[in-house]
Amino acid sequence: MAIDWMNNHLWGDDIPWLIGLREKGQRMFEQLGWPNAKTEAWKYSYFPQQILDNLMVCPDSDSCQCHENCHCHDKIKTPFAAYGIKFCNGRLHSEHVNLPEGVIVKPLVEAIYEGEVKKYINKSFDLDKFPFAALNTAFLENGMMLIVERGVKLSQPIFIHYQQHQKVHTFNNIRNIIVLEKGASATITEHYEGERGSSYFNNIVNEIYAHDESQLRHYIVNNESETAYHVALNAADLRANASYEAFVMQGECAFCRHESYIRLLQKGAAATVNGAYQLCNNGISDITTNIFHLASNTDSQQLVKGVADGRSKGVFQGKIHIAPNIKQSEGHQQHRALLLSDNAEIDAKPELEIFAEDVKCSHGNTCGDLDAEQLFYMQSRGISLDDAKRILIKAHVDEAVATISDTKVKNWLLNIITKKTP
Amino acid sequence: MEKILEINNLFAGTYDGTKEIIKGLNLTINSGEIHAIMGPNGAGKSTLAYLLAGKKDYAPTAGQIQFCGENLLTMKPEERANAGIFLSMQYPVAIPGVSTSNFLKHALNAKRKYQGLNELDAADFLKILRNTAKELGVSPEMLKREINVGFSGGEKKRLEVLQMKLLEPKLAVLDETDSGLDIDALRTVAQGVNDLHNQNNALLIITHHLDLLNLIKPDFVHIYADGHIIRSGSKELAIELEQNGYKSFLEA
Repeated sequence: MAIDWMNNHLWGDDIPWLIGLREKGQRMFEQLGWPNAKTEAWKYSYFPQQILDNLMVCPDSDSCQCHENCHCHDKIKTPFAAYGIKFCNGRLHSEHVNLPEGVIVKPLVEAIYEGEVKKYINKSFDLDKFPFAALNTAFLENGMMLIVERGVKLSQPIFIHYQQHQKVHTFNNIRNIIVLEKGASATITEHYEGERGSSYFNNIVNEIYAHDESQLRHYIVNNESETAYHVALNAADLRANASYEAFVMQGECAFCRHESYIRLLQKGAAATVNGAYQLCNNGISDITTNIFHLASNTDSQQLVKGVADGRSKGVFQGKIHIAPNIKQSEGHQQHRALLLSDNAEIDAKPELEIFAEDVKCSHGNTCGDLDAEQLFYMQSRGISLDDAKRILIKAHVDEAVATISDTKVKNWLLNIITKKTP
Repeated sequence: MEKILEINNLFAGTYDGTKEIIKGLNLTINSGEIHAIMGPNGAGKSTLAYLLAGKKDYAPTAGQIQFCGENLLTMKPEERANAGIFLSMQYPVAIPGVSTSNFLKHALNAKRKYQGLNELDAADFLKILRNTAKELGVSPEMLKREINVGFSGGEKKRLEVLQMKLLEPKLAVLDETDSGLDIDALRTVAQGVNDLHNQNNALLIITHHLDLLNLIKPDFVHIYADGHIIRSGSKELAIELEQNGYKSFLEA
């Protein structure tokens, strides 16, 4: 199926640079094509373009009446004390944005209209590498710009709730531009949640600009409906001594891919990109990371832990690139997965591209069953085999979650895992 | 006096049947008794311990094991544990990511569930755990650590005894509990085991050394070689063994 570009009534057809950008996105998408088994970066995980046939692009947000009991306009509820931002069916509900001084949030269209977002948009990644980011650019309209102003240190997390309602079948292109000015510090948690039975495609692009000395803790929880498709690109540019700590928790949906594209641009920049996935039915989860060490004294750490049971598929692709003449830098990557069924699959592709000498890098990948000695030890203490398995699975995933430095978010996620692994 | 364990003409080997390890073993243990099994390396002592606990690496080929009147061999490992068998392992297994106290809570609640009792909540459990831990010199700090991860030999064995005390088995099988322990740790562990022992339960101690048997005094000593018991006697037998070695028994 070809995408019906003509049928899109996007906002802002009087802004030439925006139109130019969308057209560029459209051209690039058509050039790259929909990823399939022959697309190197997508060879382990892809999904058919036909899913778009049943989806609607951009419903009208202001008059949202998804169903009789629509609660799009209700106030946001957060699972812990946090500043809340709410998206419903792909649209920002700015009336509920409740943020402290020093934080600015505005709908993307407003930021585009004011022009200030122009210097950031599509600057953190190369369009020709990401077909879905190209598609996202072609549909540029929804999303927000979030700025944490110079020196502002937030005392509690910002919680962004993306809600998808039952019977709402939309193709949601969301672009968020997140800027941490010099010395700013914030925790941002994104929670993607779809009601059961809702089929939709969330095509997310987050562009993160972390200026000198800033700190961003960025946690993403994908709790999409079991019939949802979710593709996200998180591109981050880190300046001098900026630190970025990311964690992605992938639940199970039809298809879920979270890709990080992180550039350590200046001295002292550090990134931690951890994650976990827990699959037991027939979902696909892909965590792909690209980390570029482009300056000396830069560090990156990755720990991803996965569980694949049933007929599910877990994919981890991790690339650490160290540019020529870089000194005193470290990049470490670990992916450890449990493969619990004969019909489940784990694919892992670690890559190190090192063009410098005075650096330390490592990668490790394991994939296997639960440890028989550990299971027997627990059974010999009276714990049933099923319980023993659950305890070990939870311990496996918890190890990654325990790296989250924000205690509120960490405890919330540990509880989610406990519920999944009763 | 209750018959706790009765092993009749047991033959067993590796699960795949490639190796026979236990060959015609007979042993009866009554409540209130302490039995010690001594034997050369490779005689199959640990196999016996694992077979009692139900490890699937080993399987019987003939004979019976009755535990408190039940056919032990048809029970799953967790059923055996809940029915009252406790195996203190020579090499307790480390489980990264599972705290000692959480592990113990699961174990105790599994037993309570089996007995038809309510599961303990975190607060009630911690109260019981702290008291028992204190008696054995197990620090609250150690209970927070991941179970057996980075524990010293002494810490691991003390933790085994702590589990034993919490679970109150009918039959505790101590597989080389003395290995890797210094004399102080050995005393603490032995003290713990002696405190636990009473007229309603029994102990089966597998060891190479007289030291442990001086601290936990057995009623019966069995010399075990080539998969079965070649001689049984009182504690004097262990002393004789210490003096003369296995050679004289094996030749006899």
